Amino acid sequence: MKKSKIVTLQEAIQEIQDGDSVFFGGIVEDRRPIAAVCEMVRQQKRNLVLLGTCSMSGDILVGGGCLGAYRGCYSSNGAFGISPNLKRWSEEGRLIIDDIGHLDLSLGLLASMAGSPFIATKSCLGTDVLNPEYDNLPKVREIARSKELLPAKKYQLMEDPFYDMGTVQLFPAIKCDVCICHVQQAGEEGTVRIDGSLTFDHFAVHGAKKVIITAEQVVSEEFLRRDPNRNQIPCTSVDMVVEAPWGAHPGQVYNFYDMDIPFLQDYAKHCATEEGFQQWADTWIYSTKNHEGYLDKLGAARLERLRAIPPYGYRPRKQGGMK
Amino acid sequence: MSEKFVRPEDYSPTEAMVIYAARFLKNFDGKRGLIGTGLPLVATQLAKMLYCPNMITFLETGQADANPQELPISIMDSRLTFGSSWQMGDPEGLFPLSRNEIDFGFIGGAQIDKYGNVNSTFVGDDYNKPTKRLAGTAGAVDIGVFAKTTVTLMAHQKRRVVEMVDYLTTPGWMVKKWPEGHLVRREELGMKGGPSTFVSTLGVMKFDDETKEMYVDKVFPGISVADIKANTGFDIDVERATQSDPILLEEVRILREEIDPLNIYRMR
Amino acid sequence: MQAKTNKLVSLNEAIQTIHDGDVLFMGSFIDSRRPMAAAHEIIRQQKKRLILLAQCSLAEDILVGSGCAAAWRGCYTGMATFGLSPATLRKIESGDFFPDEIGHIDIILGAMAAMVGSPFVATRATLGSDVLNEQYSRNEYIKDLAGHPEMIPHQKFVLMEDPFFDEGVIKLQPAMPADVAIIHVQQAGEKGTARISGSLAFDHYFVHGARTVIITAEQVVPEEYLRRDPNRNQIPCTAVDMVVEVPWGAHPSQVQNFYDTDSQFIKDYVTAAKSEEMFSQWIQEWVFKVNSWDEYLGKLGAVRLQKLRSSPPFGYRPRNI
Repeated sequence: MKKSKIVTLQEAIQEIQDGDSVFFGGIVEDRRPIAAVCEMVRQQKRNLVLLGTCSMSGDILVGGGCLGAYRGCYSSNGAFGISPNLKRWSEEGRLIIDDIGHLDLSLGLLASMAGSPFIATKSCLGTDVLNPEYDNLPKVREIARSKELLPAKKYQLMEDPFYDMGTVQLFPAIKCDVCICHVQQAGEEGTVRIDGSLTFDHFAVHGAKKVIITAEQVVSEEFLRRDPNRNQIPCTSVDMVVEAPWGAHPGQVYNFYDMDIPFLQDYAKHCATEEGFQQWADTWIYSTKNHEGYLDKLGAARLERLRAIPPYGYRPRKQGGMK
Repeated sequence: MSEKFVRPEDYSPTEAMVIYAARFLKNFDGKRGLIGTGLPLVATQLAKMLYCPNMITFLETGQADANPQELPISIMDSRLTFGSSWQMGDPEGLFPLSRNEIDFGFIGGAQIDKYGNVNSTFVGDDYNKPTKRLAGTAGAVDIGVFAKTTVTLMAHQKRRVVEMVDYLTTPGWMVKKWPEGHLVRREELGMKGGPSTFVSTLGVMKFDDETKEMYVDKVFPGISVADIKANTGFDIDVERATQSDPILLEEVRILREEIDPLNIYRMR
Repeated sequence: MQAKTNKLVSLNEAIQTIHDGDVLFMGSFIDSRRPMAAAHEIIRQQKKRLILLAQCSLAEDILVGSGCAAAWRGCYTGMATFGLSPATLRKIESGDFFPDEIGHIDIILGAMAAMVGSPFVATRATLGSDVLNEQYSRNEYIKDLAGHPEMIPHQKFVLMEDPFFDEGVIKLQPAMPADVAIIHVQQAGEKGTARISGSLAFDHYFVHGARTVIITAEQVVPEEYLRRDPNRNQIPCTAVDMVVEVPWGAHPSQVQNFYDTDSQFIKDYVTAAKSEEMFSQWIQEWVFKVNSWDEYLGKLGAVRLQKLRSSPPFGYRPRNI
């Protein structure tokens, strides 16, 4: 485990193949791997299957034409409205969506982490998540490259033989080809330290065939190993480490920076139309060439105004925090 | 009207909804609530300041006993970490629900029907080409299945308060039994809990113990039962409706000056 | 269980909440962070018919030898380098104590299922082994013994075909909830938030599936201090019912960053516990003749304890010191 896993963002993203199922760390606008997503659009990935949740990171892939299907539980940019490209594509019948529950997602990743094919739950009983008419898993399967990662069916009902819990849903493991997590700190061997919500990252990395970490800071592995209880992802689960400062902009990274609200609002406004998204993507993805170009375009002054302040981990509003 | 109270024209319908919801949370002092994103966060903050300081707040993003010092804009906001007992991830945020430890879930949504079922997935009749795609299940489905009771906040409009939701995301009192999908009482699926209250921009709705159908319990000041009937998509029972106590000056002041001085939630 | 409530109690009070016939999980593993002070108090209070989960090691062996526990469902009856658990072996061999074997992963998955509120989880663990031999199952016996039979599943396991990934025959492992979990930790706040250093063992799973959770801590620290870095806490206050401050509460096991294993003490115990008579003498000397953990520590003496202190940055006592 002594080999350095540090690569460039371009190299890491080149490992992703068309049709791969991908899972992104973070949620809504917290620690989303935006720099990685912009690079995926630049490299014109196609027919990806997005697992988990879709916020701006997933939404950029929809607009960029990289996504074939989405299987998850939440497709919103939080306070900035329903993920606009996903909404538009879905309402035009251009995107396959297969809805599952939030707990389903947690349990599916947990099963996958534990190497179990499924876990029993009462989640989603009584709801349209279990409606066979809305079951798009077969369509997702058609698109996915690694079909063996997807279950043969969405769920199965059975009677609980152990604790008289009645009908339960057997929910299958959620596995993916590639998991990309954006984190605060990573060592050169891949050990990761996250601050704030871990979202699903500490589960998802264990069920992925390939794990790419983009980090605000690459720090010495030795530094992180002085307090292993404070690390959330072991080096043994990580394949590649990329240093990508501000790599979750315009989202937030606890202890590093707060959200760039005007940027998020501007994105939502542009993406109301196809042309608007193309214009946005020209400005922020295609014409910037790489993440460094994106940061230079934003400018140091704008970024500095987003810096988090201790001990809070965010930027208090009276110190110019988000409005 | 005395100095203590505010006249209906001096607050917005959304502020009324948030304030009456906060008052309802009085019932949950010392209890465990899983709070959904959006206005439930605002009402919770107000309730903790005025009515239930000992409420224990859980979020889907994995905080236990969260005590944010600033109003979070969503449940993933960094503002929720500092001061929590524990910061894990979404799974650990949801497992208290599936262990049946959550006393109440507090959510918003796009549609609610007469049995308290809530839709936050899509509006229309074609799943693959919806009229309006929404955010999806998120925790809403899990809250509806596992919380001991749920409280829902939603603007009161005819297209939102409907006979039957287009997509059943959050199970209420009459739910779908699969694989056939016919409506059954939730107990039949071994589900505990159920919705207790729907707080809208016009009043407070509850559910009949026998029929499990929604009825009007309280009507906000300046609103009539006729207003509620006109804005409801089914023939709602208004026989038991009484007038809400007027809104206090202090409630509006705290909401505007201390909780959301920047009007982040555009409540006014 | 209110957020504002102070949960500090005495060890005596905490242990009084345990009932005969309870399913009991004792935190951590083998000879690290074991709730020894709590185990001694359970013996003093002469609890009966306890059903132990997970292991019969340092903390459990004295309960078995003292007749407090009647059965056990778990995967390990040893004390690592110190040999097999002597009292447990003796009682099993004389037919006075009933083991029900499951695998290590089974325990984890059972605790995990309880943590997530699921009745069971599928696994290939233990397939092909005698763990699945019905002849050796004590599920019915344990269910009859339990004060709360609903804590024990109807069956030890069920086999079925995996309908999702063509994994063939798999085992459904039922959840493993406990009536009481006792966890010894490095630091706890007055509201119950706990910070653990070193291996978490099973603790971070079992506390969520237990009806009552007792934390014994080396140090009670201000809750507010722990909440400055919630990412460093392993047990949320919302899972905890009682907090007891018990310095050296895991002696003779080790507590990372606090003290190392008292190997000689464990060796002496293992030797003594091999016979009924010597075990009784040992219990008289170290449990009944001392009326509290403070007296136990007094009997050990400050000098002996100081020689076990961990040194930073290692968290243990390096052998060359």
